[in-house]
Parts: sequence; C-alpha cells; structure tokens
Amino acid sequence: MGCPVLLGRFYPAGRVVVDPAGETRRSKWSLTQQGFDGLLTALGPDRGTAADRYLDIRRNLVRLFEWRGCPTPDEYADEAINRCARKLAEGEQIRDVATYCIGIARMLVLEMSRELAKEARPLDKAPEPQTPPEPVGDPEFRMECLQRCLDQLSAENRKLILHYYQGDKEEKIKNRKGLMQIFGVPPSTLRMRALRLREGLHLCALNCLQRQGRTSM
Amino acid sequence: MRSERDDEKLMVQYLLGNLSEEEQVRIEDRAFSDSNYMGALEAAEADLIDAYVRNELPQPERRGFERRFLISPQRRSKVEFARDLARIAEASKTAGAVPARPSVWLSLITMARAWNPALQFAVVLIAVISVAGASWLMVQNRAMRSRVASLETERRDLETREEALRRQLGDEQNRAGSLAAELQRRPSVGAPPVASLVLLPGLSRAETSRTQLVVNSSAQLAHIEIVLEARDDYPRYTSELRTRSGEEILIRSNLTRRRTAAGYVVSFDVPTSALGAAEYELALKGVGSDGRPQDLGYYYFSVQKP
Repeated sequence: MGCPVLLGRFYPAGRVVVDPAGETRRSKWSLTQQGFDGLLTALGPDRGTAADRYLDIRRNLVRLFEWRGCPTPDEYADEAINRCARKLAEGEQIRDVATYCIGIARMLVLEMSRELAKEARPLDKAPEPQTPPEPVGDPEFRMECLQRCLDQLSAENRKLILHYYQGDKEEKIKNRKGLMQIFGVPPSTLRMRALRLREGLHLCALNCLQRQGRTSM
Repeated sequence: MRSERDDEKLMVQYLLGNLSEEEQVRIEDRAFSDSNYMGALEAAEADLIDAYVRNELPQPERRGFERRFLISPQRRSKVEFARDLARIAEASKTAGAVPARPSVWLSLITMARAWNPALQFAVVLIAVISVAGASWLMVQNRAMRSRVASLETERRDLETREEALRRQLGDEQNRAGSLAAELQRRPSVGAPPVASLVLLPGLSRAETSRTQLVVNSSAQLAHIEIVLEARDDYPRYTSELRTRSGEEILIRSNLTRRRTAAGYVVSFDVPTSALGAAEYELALKGVGSDGRPQDLGYYYFSVQKP
C-alpha cells in the first residue's frame, strides 16, 4: 500500500501533481522544546549520542515515506516523530523509540490511505492528466554545479563515477567489469562505492545550487 | 533461499509500489535492521532512476515509476540529478567506453607530469642509468652464458678423451697381460735379448784389465758402448773390432757421439753371431773434419758364451 497524497491530489490517470497551496495537514499536537528533550532522553543518556540517534530515526522515516511514494516525506517523518514525542510526554513507556516511530509511520500511511479513499472521485470528474512536473532549477546551473563537484573528486573517484554510469545496458556492464578489474573489488563493493559517491555528488550539487540561490534541485 | 537477483527484483517491485503491505513491511524492517540490505535497496533505487532517465524501463514500470517517484521534490531532485549525471558521463566518453586498465607507463607519465623539473630530470637520469645498467647486465649475462656453454663443451670433450684414453689403457693392459702370459710360456724369458758391454776410458784401454761380455744363447745383438774422455771430441768416429790374433771382425764408420748421464759415448751393435768365445781388441778412432783418423784408444775384452 502506498502513501497517500496529503498535500496534493491524486488523479486516476496516474499522474500526480503536487499542490503547494493545497490542504495542509494540521497536527493537533505540536512538538515543544520540553517534548523534544523528552524524546532525546528516551533515546539515550548522552545528549550528543541521542541527537545522532534522532537524526538516524528521522532519516529512516523520510526514506520509508519516500519509498511509500509520499509527496512530502519530511513532513510525514516529522509527524511520526511528533506523535512519538507526544506519547512520551504523556508518560508512555517506549522501549525502542526507533521501532515505535516506524510503527507510527505505517499507521500514518494507513490513515492517509483511508482519507484518500474518501477523496476519490469518479473518472468523469477528474481533470485531464498532466505531464510530469518540469525539472526544478536551471539545467545549465545544475550541470555547472555538478561539473564543479565532479572536479572536486579525486581522479580515481571521478573515473569510477563517470564510467560506472556511462553507456547503455551492454556497454554499462562492460564498463563495470572493467572497473571491477581496475579497482580489484567485487560487484557489490563497486556498486556501493558508486552509490556513496553518487550521494555525495548529489549533496554537493544541491549545496552548490543553494549557495548560488538557484534552488532547488 | 532467495538469490541476489530475486532480491533485486523484489526491491524494484517494492520501489514501484507493486507489493502487498505485508511484503513492504518485511522489506522495510530488513532494511532498517541490516545496513547492507539498506545499501542494496538504495542502490536498486539509484539503478531504477537511471533506467528511467535512459528510457530503459518498459511502459508499465515507467508509469509506476512516475506515480511513485515524481510526486515528491526529493525524488524529483534525484531523477534530475541522475539525468544530469548521465549527460555528463556520456559527454566524458573519450576514446573508448571501456575503462581499460591504465597502462603502467601511462600512469607513470601522468604522475611524472605533476613533478617539478628537477625531480623529472633526476627520474629521467635514474631511468637512463637503469636502462644502461640493465643493458650491460644483459650483455654480461649473454657472454657468461656463452662462456659457460663453451666450458661445458670443453668438459664434454675432456670426458670423451678421458674415456678414449681409459679404453686405450684398458687395451694396453690387456695386451701387456697377454704378452706377459706369452713370455711366461717361453722358457728363455729370463735372458736379455741384447748383450751389453760398456767400455770405460782408462783401465779398459790397458791390457791388464779384461772386461767380459757375456752373450746368452737368446741374445741376437751385442751392444757396445764406449765412454769417451772430454778431449775426444770429433765429428765422426770409427770403431774396429778384431780378435787378439788380428783377425778383423767388424769395422763401423761414421759413428757419432751422444751425451748420456755418464758423459759422451759412442755406441754400436754387433751381431752375436759374429762373436765367438774369444778375446777381442777394439780400436776407436776419431775422424776429424779433414777426414784423417786419429787413434783414441784400444779396448780389450773377452766374450763368453755360456
């Protein structure tokens, strides 16, 4: 079951258009400093370590909502954390905050699916399908930022990332075999190395665009 | 047990939203508890996005992808990034798509370009010395091999010669053995075949001293050797043998002296058949370069035939 659209509308043709000015979900309970402190205390006695755990949990929640196809994974993740903090503030004993938050996230997905079902409209009342949203940000600046980030990589890493994603199916397989030979690593290691480089590059490019005020990528 | 390929397919189906709630939960739980699985899921997502931007997804999956991935800014950002990365990767294609293992020389040259000139010079110098050294070693090695080969051939020749000599020695020993056996068979083995007589200067020249020559029946020749005094230096010598009664037995001319441990000697052989058991006189004459003979001495001896 996928995550329903909270801030947009779902069209039967399968196209989704985010509506920034659409209905906003209002939480009945908002996270206070006291509630956040309580959450951190539940995550561990050391505040620094607890903060790291909090960030891990939030990252996983964002991933989960993203995987479930939610249009605003960050907001859903925050909502799940807020609900957990609320329970803690109400004196509920939670053994494993991370697992509890994941449970809340899945409940949120179910809740919103039910709301989606209520909002379902007959096909004849649905608007015409829309094309996917246009790319965000100026492509020229995006490419420039990406190139700059690539230039910051070591020659070896630059070679790896460019060759790893170069070519069509067969060529790509050939390239990756060549890379495995060059770096002397198995396919799984090469794949993870390429993935981490890709994530780093993506983050670098986003930061570059933000610095130039050309958000958002 | 599920293979990696099956896992990969399942992940793709999960990412496209094609699994049941139960299956989705199972995948998510595994991803949150196993960092490797989480990494694999993220990698599968990246590959799916790449396949989309390269138009490699079949139509149904493409639609599923758009429903799932194009609704959140985060994921749209990922899609745009993948598109940009693919574009730059394609643009960076140079000579060949396959990143062949860089040659050692190419890597060295690339590295050397970054060095300062002094270091470059030093490295070039070291390289030249190394090449020269290697060449010298190769030449030396070759010469050494050739020498070793020649010594080996020489050794084989010596072995062959040694073997031949051994065979020859064996043959000689066999022959000596058979000769010895033959001599043993003969009864007269103990007697020498040649009778010898040495005539010394001084006493033998006088009638008062008689020297005896014993001639065995097996002796065919009598070898007479006359030791000369230092003053008896002539290019040629003549020896005349006669009985005491004056009967001439043998004259030998054109004799020459030769050096031995005892001094200079003149020697000649006389058939034993010519010698009877009697007393003899031997006259030795030196023949000068003018051809004139000069008496050097008279020797007396008797012959005994047992």
